[in-house]
Parts: sequence; C-alpha cells; structure tokens
Amino acid sequence: MAINEQVLRDIIESVLKEMSDTPDSGAASNAVATSAAAQADSVKLTPIGDAQAGTAADEVLIGLAPAFADSQIDTIINIPHDKVLKEIIAGIEEEGLKARVIKVYRSSDVAVCGHDAADLSGSGVAIGLQSKGTCLIHQKDLPQLSNLELFSQAPLIDLDTYRAIGKNAAKYAKGESPTPVPVRNDQMARPAYQARAALLHIKETQHVEKGKKPVEMKVSFQ
Amino acid sequence: MRSKRFEALAARPVKKDGFVKEWPEVGLIAMNNPGDPAPSIKVENGVIVELDGRSRDEFDMLDTFIANYGIRTEKAEEYMALDSLEIARKLCDINVPRAEVVDITTSITPAKLTEVLGKMTVLEMMMAQTKMRSRLMPSNQCHVTNVKDNMVQIAADAAEAAIRGFDEMETTVGVARYAPFNALAIMIGSNVGRPGILTQCAVEEATELDLGMRGYTAYAETISVYGTEDVFMDGDDTPWSKAFLASCYASRGLKMRFTSGTGAEVQMGYAEGKSMLYLEARCLYVTKGAGVQGSQNGSVSCVGVPAGVPGGIRAILAENLMAACLDLECASSNDQTFTHSDLRRVARSLMQMVPGTDYICSGYSSTPNYDNMFAGSNWDAEDFDDWNVIQRDLKIDGGLQPVDEETVVTARAKAARTMQVLFKELGLTEITDEEVEAATYANGSQDMPDRDVVADLKAADELLKRGATAVDFIKALERGGMRDVAQSVFNIQLQKCAGDYLHTASLLSENWEVISAVNYMNDYTGPQTGYIISDERWKEIQDIPWADDPETI
Amino acid sequence: MTQEELLEKIVKEVMASISDTPASSAAAPSAAAPKAEGQVTKEDYPIGEKRPDLIQSATGKSFKDLDLDKLLNGELKAEDLRIRPETLELQAQVAESCDRDAFAGNLRRAAELISIPDARLLEIYNALRPYKSTKDELLAIAAELKDQYNAPISAALVAEAAEVYYERKRSKEFR
Repeated sequence: MAINEQVLRDIIESVLKEMSDTPDSGAASNAVATSAAAQADSVKLTPIGDAQAGTAADEVLIGLAPAFADSQIDTIINIPHDKVLKEIIAGIEEEGLKARVIKVYRSSDVAVCGHDAADLSGSGVAIGLQSKGTCLIHQKDLPQLSNLELFSQAPLIDLDTYRAIGKNAAKYAKGESPTPVPVRNDQMARPAYQARAALLHIKETQHVEKGKKPVEMKVSFQ
Repeated sequence: MRSKRFEALAARPVKKDGFVKEWPEVGLIAMNNPGDPAPSIKVENGVIVELDGRSRDEFDMLDTFIANYGIRTEKAEEYMALDSLEIARKLCDINVPRAEVVDITTSITPAKLTEVLGKMTVLEMMMAQTKMRSRLMPSNQCHVTNVKDNMVQIAADAAEAAIRGFDEMETTVGVARYAPFNALAIMIGSNVGRPGILTQCAVEEATELDLGMRGYTAYAETISVYGTEDVFMDGDDTPWSKAFLASCYASRGLKMRFTSGTGAEVQMGYAEGKSMLYLEARCLYVTKGAGVQGSQNGSVSCVGVPAGVPGGIRAILAENLMAACLDLECASSNDQTFTHSDLRRVARSLMQMVPGTDYICSGYSSTPNYDNMFAGSNWDAEDFDDWNVIQRDLKIDGGLQPVDEETVVTARAKAARTMQVLFKELGLTEITDEEVEAATYANGSQDMPDRDVVADLKAADELLKRGATAVDFIKALERGGMRDVAQSVFNIQLQKCAGDYLHTASLLSENWEVISAVNYMNDYTGPQTGYIISDERWKEIQDIPWADDPETI
Repeated sequence: MTQEELLEKIVKEVMASISDTPASSAAAPSAAAPKAEGQVTKEDYPIGEKRPDLIQSATGKSFKDLDLDKLLNGELKAEDLRIRPETLELQAQVAESCDRDAFAGNLRRAAELISIPDARLLEIYNALRPYKSTKDELLAIAAELKDQYNAPISAALVAEAAEVYYERKRSKEFR
C-alpha cells in the first residue's frame, strides 16, 4: 500500500488523539463522545413527524431502512441495532458533529436510504443503514447508485467499523477527505450468509411503503 | 451430554454454509413454485397478444420485450399445445436431434420452458445438456486478477493459464482506474501463452464498451439483465438499453454475451413471488430477444441464494440447459465461492463438467483465491491438478491439461518481459527486472513487490487521455522486439474487421481459426457421436507428470 | 468517481481521440441498408477464411490486403481495421442460415450504428437508461437515428422504448 501525505497525516492525528484521550477518559472533552455511547443498553426510536430538510452544516443524517429497530432488532451477525446506532452516533459526535436519525419507508435499498437522508442533511452527508447491517456513506450531489464509501458485506462489519463509519461521515461533512474505512473481504462470507441476507432483505422489503415520506426519529438511549 | 458423532459432524466445513427453508410466497424457492404463471400464448397476425396468463394491456416491460422479440411466433401455438412432459422427454432422448428440440424450445414461452425443465431430474438434464450445448466441443474460461492490480503478475498468470488450456480470460480491477493496464496485461500475457486467446475486462458498462472500442479487449460479458422490472430498474437499465448496448458492441466488431442468474431478484427483494428459475427464464428470453449470441448464467454472484434452498444446484443446471435450449452460447458460471465443503464444490461442478458446456467455468480463478477480485471462485489455481485428475478419472474434457513447470516458467517470464518492454515503449511507468523475475515465479500477489500505485494510476489515465489504441500497442511491441506478440494483437483486430467471431460460442484456435456453433455445431445423437475425445487429446489429458511409469519403475 | 462523471470523462476523452483522427468518420457514407455482395450461408463461414474477397474494412481496404507490415509502415491506420456494414450484413445472413433470426437482427441493427461516433453511441445508450430521458427526448433520438444516420431499425427500437417507458412510468417525467 502506498502511503501518501493524507494517509500519514490521518495516522498521526489519530495516534495523537488516542494519546490525548486515553489518560482522561472521564474528562469533559470526552463527555460528548461517550454520553450516548458507553452507558446505554438500548435505544428507543420515537417518530416525531415528517423529516425536514436541515440547515445546520454540522449535522450528519442516518437514514434507517424500514424494519430497523422495529420488526428486526439485530444485524445479520446478531449485533443489536441499539449498539450499531450507538456506535455510529458516537463516531459522529466524536468529530464534534451532531447526528439526526430518520426512517426511510419508500425503499429498503441501502443506496436509497442513504441518498434520501443526504438530501435532507444540512451538511449534505448521510449514512444509509439496512437492518441486516449493510451500510454506506452518501452525499447529496452524487447519483443514487454512487456513494462515498460502501460496506456491502454486512457479516464483516463489527462495532468498531460502525464507529469508524460514523467518524468518517462526520469528516466528509466537515469537508475533509478521510482515508476510507478499510473494507474487509472474505470469500467465505457468501457461502455462509448470502441466503440469510436474502431472507432478511425480503423481510425488510415487506415493510416498504411506496410513496411514504421519511419520518424523523427521536433517539433516546436507555 | 453431547454425542461425539454429532460433535464431529458439527465441525465439518458444510456446517459453516448457510441454508434456509423455502418461502414460495416471496420467491425464495429454486424451481417448481406453485406461484409461477401457467404457460399460455395467443398470437394474432404474428403478434403475441397473450403471454403466460397476461394480456398485452397487463404486460410489464419485460413481457412486452419478450413478446415482441424473444419468441418465434410461427409455430408457437402448435408447440405450446404439446404436453410439457413430452418436450422434456424429447430433450433427453438421443433419438431426437438438437435442431428439432431447438425448433420447439425457441417457440414456447418462459413459463412453458420452466415447466418443461421442472419435469426433469439432474441426470436427465445432464443428458440434455450434452446434446443441447451449442458448440461441438466444450471449453473453459478463467479469471486473471490480483489484489494489488499488479499488471506484470496479470500478464504472467494469463500466459500460464493459456498453456493450461483456457480459451477465454476475464480480468477486473480493485481500483477502477487500473482498468486500462489490467486489460492490456491480460490481452498481452494470454497471447504470449498461446496466440488467439480472447480477453475481457469487467468494469462499469459504459467503461467496458469504451475499452472495447479502443482495442484493449476482444469481448465483453458483464452486461447484466434481470427477471423483474423493479430489479431491472435498480440495475439502472432496461431491456431496450441493453439491446442497444448489444448492437453497439457488434458495430465495433466486438463479441459479447449477457449475464444473469437465479437468485438475483430474490436477493434484491423483488422476486414477485416467482421461482428463481422462472425469473431466470425471463432473463434468457430478454437475452435472446436482444439478439445476443450467448449468456453467462448459472446464478453467478448470487449462488449463495439458490445453493441455500432445496434443489438449488439442480436449478442452476436447469438454467444453463435453458440457455442452450434457446440456442444461446452458455458460459456456465462455476465461478463463485458458494460453500466451505470441497465435496459440494465438486458435486456442483460435475453438473457442467460431465456433459460439457460452451465455457464450463465463466471464471476458473487462475490465481489463488486470495487474489480473485470476483470475490473468490469455485475453483482456483491451487486446484489445477485436482481438475486435471478428475478429467483423467472420468475421461471427460474440461478444457485443461497437465503442464510441465519449465514451459510455464518460460511463458510467464516472456509475458512479464513483454509488459516491461511495452510499458517502456509506451512511456508508461517502469517495470523493473526484479518485478519480471518475481512475476515469473509467483504463485500470488504476496510474492510480488509493491508498485507505486499513484504513479501507475496517473500513467493509466494519461494513456486513455492520449487516445492510445490497439494500433499503438502493436507498434510499441514491434519496436520493443516482440513481433510475434504484435502479430497476435494485430490478428485480434482482424477478427473484429471480419466479424466471424461474433457468432454463437466462438473461440479462436492457436492458428487463428474461428471455432463456433456455426462451423462446429453440436451434432450429438448418442454414443460415439458429437464431440469425441481424440486419441491425441486423451493422451494430453491423462499425462500427469507425477504418475508412475511401469517401464521405468 | 460517479457514473455520470465517468461517462462525461469517457465521452470527452473519446471526443479528443476522434478529433485527432479525422478519417474515423470515413465509414459514414456507406452506412445503412448495406448491399451485400451476394448471398452467403453457413457454408461460406468463416467468411474471413473462406470468402475473404467479400470483406472490406470500413475504409474500403480489401481484407486480404490487411497485414502487419502495412500497419507498421503507416500504410494502415486504426480506421482501416474497422468492420463495415456490408460485412455485418453478410454475418447476419450466416446467422439466418443457422435459424438465428434474433441474432441476425442485432447484427443488422449494429450495421446501422457503425457510422455513429463512439461518444454519441455512449450518450444514446445512457439516454436509454430508466428515468434518464423524457418521451420526447427519446423520440428526438429516434428521429436523429433515422434522419441523420439512416438507421431505421435502431430508430424503431428507440421509439418503441419511448412509448414503453412512458407507459410504464419509467421515463424522466416520472422521476
């Protein structure tokens, strides 16, 4: 792998950040990052009406597929949706930005969830997230079938990766060009998970309501 | 207490595979779905006004396209009146010639053909496949890729694969901007191995056509079609856009086939409650209607879905056979990992290896699977000797043959050196002697030094920007003293001018003879007919260098 | 890079490479309704081997005269290696003699497209993708194919697409 200047800069920054974070884990600077992340066991999503276009440049939207934390409660490798959402939000907040969550109903396609959310995002950046765990980072001006980063193999996405995805989305929102979150590849993911993935996707698609507008969700951790 | 037997069974590789039970209502079923439409047709003044239970005003986009282009109408009503069981019997009956069956199967509807194959066992379908394959002799295709997009290694691996027997080769990219280099490498390397190999580079549709137009490739295959309208839209195409694209390729003298496969629609959530095989039938009728000569099918990248449901591997055989029934070339997949079990791996491939298809694998990984950028193939470079021994055990021709190390190493070295010379003459990035040496002896990219990716990508972009074409490559090869390779690249361009290799199931011999289902049509009618392995070929297949010789032991 | 950017980039690059080689449009005059020299069947196949006298390149060079030395000494250019409509018509006849009518139809459609520049072909393909064009835009392309390029079969295909897309609410009006 070629190390370019940006990669080097990011590595140095993240190392420096880790060094500064570790000693004072209870300090105020860290409160934002851990407020949602560390303690809560479960998350509650409460619909609060049609999602509106945001104006705040410091927000990243998360566009959830129809069944998320509702008829489905964990990913294809049984990571609870609570934890997934918590990590992504923590990743965003760690960069000093705010997360806003909406539920997309018109499609179960991860690109549509991400793109619809990006359209409503004040920063123009959003994360699309399916119940089985597949996700991507999307941006307003991109065509729907394109994206900033795509994580198509849900069985290979762990909580650290979700947090890194949240962080990177926030960095894009700040106008930075972060190093993409490393995509893991495992040729045996297909034999193990493809049929189940189809099953979960069908179940999610059954909750699609064509023509229904995205709904804003109030997130409360408990 | 836990049974030790069950503990042992739980630890077997097959237990890591994913399986699901059928769910017919949403289309999670391989074939024989009660929800599939009942076959029907009504033709008025040569126009199909009813197709599989829908009248013209109820047609979706695919129905319209299939009704307008995909079915021969002259005898359609007559053949639709035949009992499906009778057609199934004709398919596996050696006394009914291929042409007679094709006359029927190209005149009936997708639901009817699905129903016909639903009445056959895998053994009967394999018999039918032997007869219905379009080209007289079977062949094989390989993938040549690596995780580093190292073009020197691609060229060396392609040269070796050519010697091992593959007639078609496919590469793709990790980083999209590497496409011109990878395409160039596989064309050059393969034709060093043996003149006349056809090569392609699988990338985004418009880019793929562009590479072909410029002369980086000889054919294309990743032109996807789907069995429901919703999924077709998600794929950002229509039957009409794909038909137009097919003509674009032919207008530049480029061979192409479409690709589709069971499980794609259900995986994308819109299977409309139909069986995977029925939806694949619709894909194949779109392919036929678009006037494309062939199909890469056999579930392909969705194989985990049919392989997870009962009878899924049977459905994959059925879809390959269906392509042959429509008189299409069939590149029959066997190109994607679908199981942890070596036993399942072989059982799945025997369905095509034994009867033989036009291209048994549409991507045997010619590298170790860790370098396979199509997410892993059902067969990889480290299985070469297993494949060869299976051919020898069963006396079947799976397209490959045993090779000796010295021949392979010599060819790899020449391919790598040709790339070095070509890059120098084209003013591209440097290929060092160290890289040539590494590629000569490499098993995979772990054995290759890293390249300056940023410089490579810049050079690749620049090569496209200056509008370099096959003519520039030919001249550069000649300047670099590689006249024989220049001649091969020139001869490929001649094929695009003559158009003979556009025909069904074509390949080129090492003497540049076009071999296709026109001049080598399959004429199997039972024992000792059709393709018979010659004595010379049988000697090649059986001659594994590590067998004991009775004379010398 | 997004698909649209990619396409735009390709189009620009191809345009640039075309403007460098003015002879690339040489095929245009002979486009459409090609008169094949005689009728051929599968017995004449491979034509390049059995009936090379019937084949010329897009620029009118005899197939038998195309060789590597001529290319190297500059007598032959890239355009001299391109297929011409008459050759695709011959191949369509071969296909018909094998009862492959749909395939023959594709080859005849392709024969019409030879004279259309690479960049314009890629644009038309993109315009045919779902939700990319209005019905009128597609009908305008059909007219262009028919009138400007004398490509009636392809024009009919695009006109049909215009109707079907609109009917199925898959044209740009319904995005």
